[in-house]
Amino acid sequence: MLQPKLKSKVRCTDHDIGEVTRVVLDPLSHEISHIVVSMNGSGERQIMMTQVQDVTEDAVQLRAPSADILALPPFKREDYVTTHEVEISHLEDNIHVTPGEVLVPLPDLEKNVKRRTFFMNFTHVIGFLIGLPLAYPILRFLMKPMYADFDNAWLKVGNVSKIKQEDVGTQFKYKKQVKEAYMPEYEVEKNVWVLRATPDLLERVYQGKDVEFHDAKGKAIWTNKKDVPYIAFSGKCPHLGCGFKWRQHKALGQVFLCPCHLSIYDAGGKVLDGPAPRGLDALPVKVSPSGEVEIIDMEFKAGTKSQIRIV
Amino acid sequence: MDMKHSSPAVIPDHQPSTSEKILAFLDERLGLKEMQAKMLNEPIPGGSRWAYVFGSILLFIFAMQAVTGTMLMFYYVPTADHAYDSTQYIIHDVDYGWFLLSYHFWGSSAMVVCVFAHMSQVFLWGAYKKPRELLWLVGLALFGIVITFGFTGYLLPWDQRAFWATLVGVEILDKTPIVGDFIARFLKGGASPGQMTLSRFFVLHVMILPAALMALAGLHIFLFRVAAPAGPFKGTTEEIKAKTDYFFPRQIWKDIVGMAFVFVGLCALALWEPVVLLDKATPDPGEYHPEPEWYFLFYFQLLRLKLFAGQFGQFMGAVALPVIFMGLMVALPFFDKDPERNIFKRPIALISWIVIMVVIALFTVAAVINREFLD
Repeated sequence: MLQPKLKSKVRCTDHDIGEVTRVVLDPLSHEISHIVVSMNGSGERQIMMTQVQDVTEDAVQLRAPSADILALPPFKREDYVTTHEVEISHLEDNIHVTPGEVLVPLPDLEKNVKRRTFFMNFTHVIGFLIGLPLAYPILRFLMKPMYADFDNAWLKVGNVSKIKQEDVGTQFKYKKQVKEAYMPEYEVEKNVWVLRATPDLLERVYQGKDVEFHDAKGKAIWTNKKDVPYIAFSGKCPHLGCGFKWRQHKALGQVFLCPCHLSIYDAGGKVLDGPAPRGLDALPVKVSPSGEVEIIDMEFKAGTKSQIRIV
Repeated sequence: MDMKHSSPAVIPDHQPSTSEKILAFLDERLGLKEMQAKMLNEPIPGGSRWAYVFGSILLFIFAMQAVTGTMLMFYYVPTADHAYDSTQYIIHDVDYGWFLLSYHFWGSSAMVVCVFAHMSQVFLWGAYKKPRELLWLVGLALFGIVITFGFTGYLLPWDQRAFWATLVGVEILDKTPIVGDFIARFLKGGASPGQMTLSRFFVLHVMILPAALMALAGLHIFLFRVAAPAGPFKGTTEEIKAKTDYFFPRQIWKDIVGMAFVFVGLCALALWEPVVLLDKATPDPGEYHPEPEWYFLFYFQLLRLKLFAGQFGQFMGAVALPVIFMGLMVALPFFDKDPERNIFKRPIALISWIVIMVVIALFTVAAVINREFLD
């Protein structure tokens, strides 16, 4: 691309007509589209670059006679903005109208500094040495409450007299004391579903085997005997953790139904329909001679085929 | 008039007023006029359009969320024993508290709707293509931030709706292989949701996400300015050049009209559908049927499908599906290298967009219809 310089003399085919005062850039191609020429006192004219035949060190040669240029309409400054006043990226990439390089001297102390790269890398190393030792403490700081021991205490949830019918889910609500960080203990409401099972249902649930529960270290803490007719299911749906209900289903009869993603379980906790990956989670349960139901409040990870205890 | 090039020798025909002097003082030190000129004089190839208003509207909604959110923090207390009561106090006792909270609540929905419109527009216009790949990627990150904003904000009132949506949302993250358990515990601050969860979501919602959004939105706008607007996908260079105008005044006019519509719409929603809390959060849902915010309903319904049953199915639905979708979005400008931007000449893109829209619409409707059968 021709690079007409500011202050260059502008020559027509007959004689000189003035000098370049501005250049105009095309906003799309980013190339010089026009030069603006100050006409030795007769105002300014805008001349297309196609009119320019040649550009030398200090002069611009046009293809037209001076009369043609003079006949052009006067240049209208108000139709333009400067490149400082407009946001067009890379607009000045193609233009080199400055008279050669523009220089500023280095300060004396910056002359002959040999180890610039070394200092640059050293700065980064120091930065890392500040940041790195912080990473682990911050991680530990945030992880503090994440893992807690299991609470294997027995909780009283109600009396079996509440259960009116066999093989029907009855919800028992109970309060659990929760202690978080330094805060005073507070109560949360939870629920568990308890059934008095017929021998038929017991057989389906236990399949002739007692169920043993272990603590975090693998030590046995309780065994649900296969001939005890009470079954307690954790109130948490094994699909994604919602609370399920005992409902009448038009095709399947009385079932446990989770309203979130519509998992359906029979009275024995077996998955009948829906997305659940495993049946309901039976909890350790014992019933005192006076009929008080006690459970160990356990929660298992939702969405897995096997039971993984998390609370 | 170009001040720089006018002769300083010209004596003004009037004495500058005090405000002009202050303005001149500031301009000399800050370059305000040049900055303003640069911000307003951005060419819009092919001219201003109503379709281009969504970016500006998103910025407006965010500013309003910041204002209303800051106001709410004057009364809201992020603790398990006070979050619910303080929110109820804002709604029932603080003057205009119901309005600020409801505006903030509906503002989050408006944000999701506009992000959706903005992304659809960019996708249909083919504006994610070279040289705007980075702009698209930062936009996707901003999409993630907006969604996370909605998710974390949902918990803060600490009512049943909040508690259960969070519980299920975190369980979904828990399904991520290897790191899922860590992520879920990290977010919950333990094995089950409680005070630690509320604290963490609060910090995310009022500190980390706003900072991330401001930084990335700044980067987004910077990249947009560097790459310049893509302009229409039809028309020759000459036609586009003939219709080109600057950001000011026509596009700004359209943007401000759009913002006014959003503002009036949100005020109307806040007036007619103010936020009403359910019972205080507890791990016993009672008669409440957990449900996420309306823009997640389609996904909620999707997870009910038999296709996503069982442990593997759940992994497919909860993890693989969103990861693959986002992965495709990230990869989009890198495998779709065809410079053709006209949506009517990009059948795969057009069909994919329509399919996604139809799936979202159908599953949302299905989720709404399903509500009746649960009661």
